[in-house]
Amino acid sequence: MTDSSLSVALSELTEAQSVAVAWRDGPMFVLAGPGSGKTRVLTTRVAKLLADTPDRSFRVLALTFTNKAADEMSARVTALVPEQERRALIGTFHSFCMQMLQQHGSHIGINPDFAIYSLDVDRQEILRDAIKQAGLRPDDVRLLSTIDKLKSQLIQPAGSARYFRDPSDGSRVEQVYAAYEAALTQANALDFGSLIAQAHRLVTAFPGIAGRYRKTYAYWMFDEFQDTTDGQYRLIRALAGEDFRNVFAVADDDQIIYQWNGASYQQIQRFRADFSPQELQLPTNYRCPPAIVSVANRLVVHNLQRTTAKQPLEAGKTSLKYPDEQHICVLRYSTDDVEAASIAEGIAKIDRAQWGEVAVLARTRYMLEKLQSALTQKQVNAVISQRRDDFRSPQFLWLAAVLRQGLRPLDRRALEILTGAFNRWFGTDARVDLIVTATELTERSLLDEWAVAVKAGLGDDVNGNALVDLAATFAKEPARFRQFVDAVLAMIPAQDDEASDIAEDRAAWSDLVRSIGKTIGRDAPLEQFLQELAIRSKEAPVGSNTVTLMTIHGAKGKEFDHVYVVGLAEDILPSFQSLKAGENSAEMEEERRNCFVAITRAREWLCLSYADNYRGWNKQPSRFLLEMGFSLPDQPSQ
Amino acid sequence: MQISRLKISNFRSIKEAEIQFGAVTVLIGTNNAGKSAILEAIRIALTRRWGQRGTGFTEYDVHLCDGRPDPKVGDPVVIEVELQEAVANEWPEDLQGELEDIIQLDPVTGRASIIMRVSCSWDAAEESFVPRWEFLNVDRNPLAGRGARAVNLQEFFQFLPVFYLEALRDVTDEFSSRSQFWGKLLRTVQIPEPLEQRSKRIFDLLNRRLLDADPLLTNLATGLSHISSVAASDAPGQADLRLLPLNTWDILSKAEVIYQTEGGKPWLPLARHGQGVQSLSVMFLFKAFVELILSDLYRPESTAVLALEEPETHLHPQAARSLWRHISELPGQKIVTTHSPYFLQHVPFRDIRVVRVEANGTTVSSLPRQFRAPVPHVPQIDAIIADSGGIITYDRSLNELVLSGTLPENQYRNLLVAYAGRPDTQGIHAALRKACDASQEFISDAELEKLGTFARRIRGEIFFARRWLLVEGQSEYQLVHGIAKGLGYDLDEHGVAVIDFQNNGSPEIFAVLARALGYPWLAVVDGDHAGHDYIARITARNFSAAEIARRTYSLPAGFLEQQLVEDGLQNELKAILVSFGNAAATDFDNETLISALENDKSGYAAVLAKQCAENQALAQRMPAPFRDAILALRGLT
Repeated sequence: MTDSSLSVALSELTEAQSVAVAWRDGPMFVLAGPGSGKTRVLTTRVAKLLADTPDRSFRVLALTFTNKAADEMSARVTALVPEQERRALIGTFHSFCMQMLQQHGSHIGINPDFAIYSLDVDRQEILRDAIKQAGLRPDDVRLLSTIDKLKSQLIQPAGSARYFRDPSDGSRVEQVYAAYEAALTQANALDFGSLIAQAHRLVTAFPGIAGRYRKTYAYWMFDEFQDTTDGQYRLIRALAGEDFRNVFAVADDDQIIYQWNGASYQQIQRFRADFSPQELQLPTNYRCPPAIVSVANRLVVHNLQRTTAKQPLEAGKTSLKYPDEQHICVLRYSTDDVEAASIAEGIAKIDRAQWGEVAVLARTRYMLEKLQSALTQKQVNAVISQRRDDFRSPQFLWLAAVLRQGLRPLDRRALEILTGAFNRWFGTDARVDLIVTATELTERSLLDEWAVAVKAGLGDDVNGNALVDLAATFAKEPARFRQFVDAVLAMIPAQDDEASDIAEDRAAWSDLVRSIGKTIGRDAPLEQFLQELAIRSKEAPVGSNTVTLMTIHGAKGKEFDHVYVVGLAEDILPSFQSLKAGENSAEMEEERRNCFVAITRAREWLCLSYADNYRGWNKQPSRFLLEMGFSLPDQPSQ
Repeated sequence: MQISRLKISNFRSIKEAEIQFGAVTVLIGTNNAGKSAILEAIRIALTRRWGQRGTGFTEYDVHLCDGRPDPKVGDPVVIEVELQEAVANEWPEDLQGELEDIIQLDPVTGRASIIMRVSCSWDAAEESFVPRWEFLNVDRNPLAGRGARAVNLQEFFQFLPVFYLEALRDVTDEFSSRSQFWGKLLRTVQIPEPLEQRSKRIFDLLNRRLLDADPLLTNLATGLSHISSVAASDAPGQADLRLLPLNTWDILSKAEVIYQTEGGKPWLPLARHGQGVQSLSVMFLFKAFVELILSDLYRPESTAVLALEEPETHLHPQAARSLWRHISELPGQKIVTTHSPYFLQHVPFRDIRVVRVEANGTTVSSLPRQFRAPVPHVPQIDAIIADSGGIITYDRSLNELVLSGTLPENQYRNLLVAYAGRPDTQGIHAALRKACDASQEFISDAELEKLGTFARRIRGEIFFARRWLLVEGQSEYQLVHGIAKGLGYDLDEHGVAVIDFQNNGSPEIFAVLARALGYPWLAVVDGDHAGHDYIARITARNFSAAEIARRTYSLPAGFLEQQLVEDGLQNELKAILVSFGNAAATDFDNETLISALENDKSGYAAVLAKQCAENQALAQRMPAPFRDAILALRGLT
């Protein structure tokens, strides 16, 4: 059965895809354009490597950029080779580093049950406390982003001063950075940047651990390699050492859109220099109609920072829904408001059952919000889809914070969140500072003292009191957190409105629980559940019959039948900053890639629109429209 | 892969114990000392069966003592199993791949280790003792993430199957078709289908012929067919007689081992042989099982762990002696308990574990090559390690400081300094102190080897003794037995082993052996130059002056004969010589008497010993050091 599902999958590959999938030993670099089936190549290759070696015990490592993508890849590999699933480690850079630190972190003083601080507000709180304790300047809390930058370059606190031109600035940053790291260590916590930085520290301090990973994980694969940051790339290098060659990277240098986050064409060049890989191109696009492929090619050749020998995309899609000349339309409007209203009107005309396959993409959130209200007016369901680091509703914020408090009874930050959330939920007015003071007198736990405080304000609210009691019971036996969660979920009010925060959070929660269960099992203890919760986005899955509104960055890796790209005007796409940087700047090239990514999301139909006026300022149509070779409307359509 | 160490707390008779294991480990100790508790701890820890009653722990498994009368209240039962590579990549690659998520690593040497902990305490909500299995990191914190998945446990158990052969081995059980080795072996037998069919046809034919041979059989079958008329069923049934097996499994399941002790003797089923042969056959059955089908039932890289109770049962001493070789050649890791001095004679010293029950529960003593302190690694110790000449190392796959020999005082001081000024300094210093103290008991391989050749004759029995009395030679050996008997303290009855160290090695090796293995000991030596030298040599092995004063006695007048004369026993001694036919002895002066006795040491000593044994008054006149030592043996610790 599985044998056949793998052989079916293999037989469905194109010739070029087959070559990539069959690649066995040695370094390989696959340049895969949008819609060229790279996920299929990766998952089939993982499955084939495992299926070809049923009696071996080595594992295969495949890293991608979002947990969602990793979950999907895992599911596909499991479907292809279920009995070998254990041998595949498919995850994100962050989840991989988290695992490495859970297993071997003790050699650099990291306990396996560390917490992960993913929210900037939490981190600022930690830093503020650290600064206070160390007697540093309170306003240095704004150095958090500087710290993050250092961390992303894998610079440890000790000696970080020398990276600053001004020695006094340097020593100030070093002190703050050191205090911040010490505070994280004391809280047994890591932030996102630390996951990569500490994993790098571990394998460079102890090459034996890197050696172990080389031995156990005989083949490594990297998805979206173009988005690898400097730190991630150096981690790969450190893990690979001098001899490891079985690295397989899939990338598209035309889809680098995270330059601001450290992604760069440089990483691709470093990979080529360090590993001298064989190169293979997958230029055939099976996603977009030929018309879109052709404008995408015309657009992207204007970039210079790309693989010289890169072949243009080839149209490979055979069954088309619309006649050839009806795949793209370009629309001009007088103002941004008109643009939003008209696009919304257009969408409203589409059959409601298709809305789930419609996306509106924009360079920034500004246009998305306009679109959302315009669509709401037309009674079209639409959500702005983006990574969410935290829940929205007080109900779920409270639930997550109580779980955290149960695991770490001294966690002040969790107390603040759960107090604030509960106050919002039930209109109580418990105060964190009073609760903390009270615990010093009564020696009760923070949670117990919170319970006393809110009960005073709850009166005879049945639900409120019941929740407080549930929390108190849970705190005595944190291991039974699942019962607590189920009981709380049953008490969180249902709301009819699908777009409400509670409904979204509830959908996100069950999605998260499913995904976490798949990764670490349904019986995993609380500390691991919270670790996994921390590294995942709390965004609700987009419901059916709902239009997706996304920034172009968020749309990476996604595809839709109907795609609207709005705001194609100078200063918007390309952005004001890129124009300032100059016509041939790296920034301008990144904007062009943004446009390239946006238009190649469309499976059937693409609508490009712009207005003459945004936020009251007159704007020229985007140069990218001209580069793509469109003749523009003489007049705004309304 | 094999178990390298077991740590047990609050389990049955064991309050707290740590036991190191090798390829073979031999546990000795009196009944109820806790040997079986150790074997059981391994069995429970390594054989979890989900949803099956009778695995895990019960209230009777909790160690109870004065401070803890209720098994439901108090610290949990904890069993920690450690497995460690001796060198990097000792474990097969496939095993490492399968167990990757639970393997811990010495990041410097690359040695892998696995630490598993089973803990169990009363769960009021579940109303039962709930056990918890988890794998740990080098700091003994539970692994998170993939290392915490339950599937790891099943994989791990596959590589380390445990088999238990109890002291009471019944050959009919062990060779039944449902037994753990024989039954599984039989079930793997594959008879080709054509042969199976052909056999069936032949059985049927033969069965029919046999039934037809005597009308009685046919009538019997007809008579039995009336069953159906009683068992109210509509369809009429039929009974028949089967004289032959129905199929090949019927035959296989009745397969029986027959054995001929020597040529010319009859072939007999095992159960018809003596108990010794039966007992041995089960062990060899295990061997066949492991060699033939273990890798099919488990994995090619699996190591069988065999817990074997009293393999010597029913065996002649000569057979018990040679048993050691056979057991050490069995595949897998063996953990053996024994009560046989003969068996023990050939067991290497390092493999012996002495198990005792003391006031605080079971203790386990051994002669380790290494002494370990669970202290963290700090950079400051690297230089101390480098300068230690190999005595100190740091094991990062278990996070322990390792002493491979006696730790010199100055190095100990340096270590204390290296760990000074930390919040946990106190605990670390205590751990270092403990390891350093233990390392004073270190005995080198060379010394043990020497002892092995000298003392083979006595080594079996001295390990089963309760106390040791060291004397110089054969005459003292005889005399102390006689004196003790005369004084009403029979040394054999009280489990005192008298060791005449001149014939068997040196006094200090026995003293350090006694200290390391926990045997209370005393020594009586001559007051001459050689005797002083003996005491000096013992003292040099890190015994305190107080210990030496308490444990050693010397004859003030010099050697034994000088002392006997000094104590005014001339008449008795002369009479013995006269009885040997030396009539002139009556007139010997002291000096001549002494030298005459010296010429016939064991002869006169044997007679004098016999006289002492029968004559309490005479025994009371024997040299005070002997009498004092014998007196001190009672209640000696």
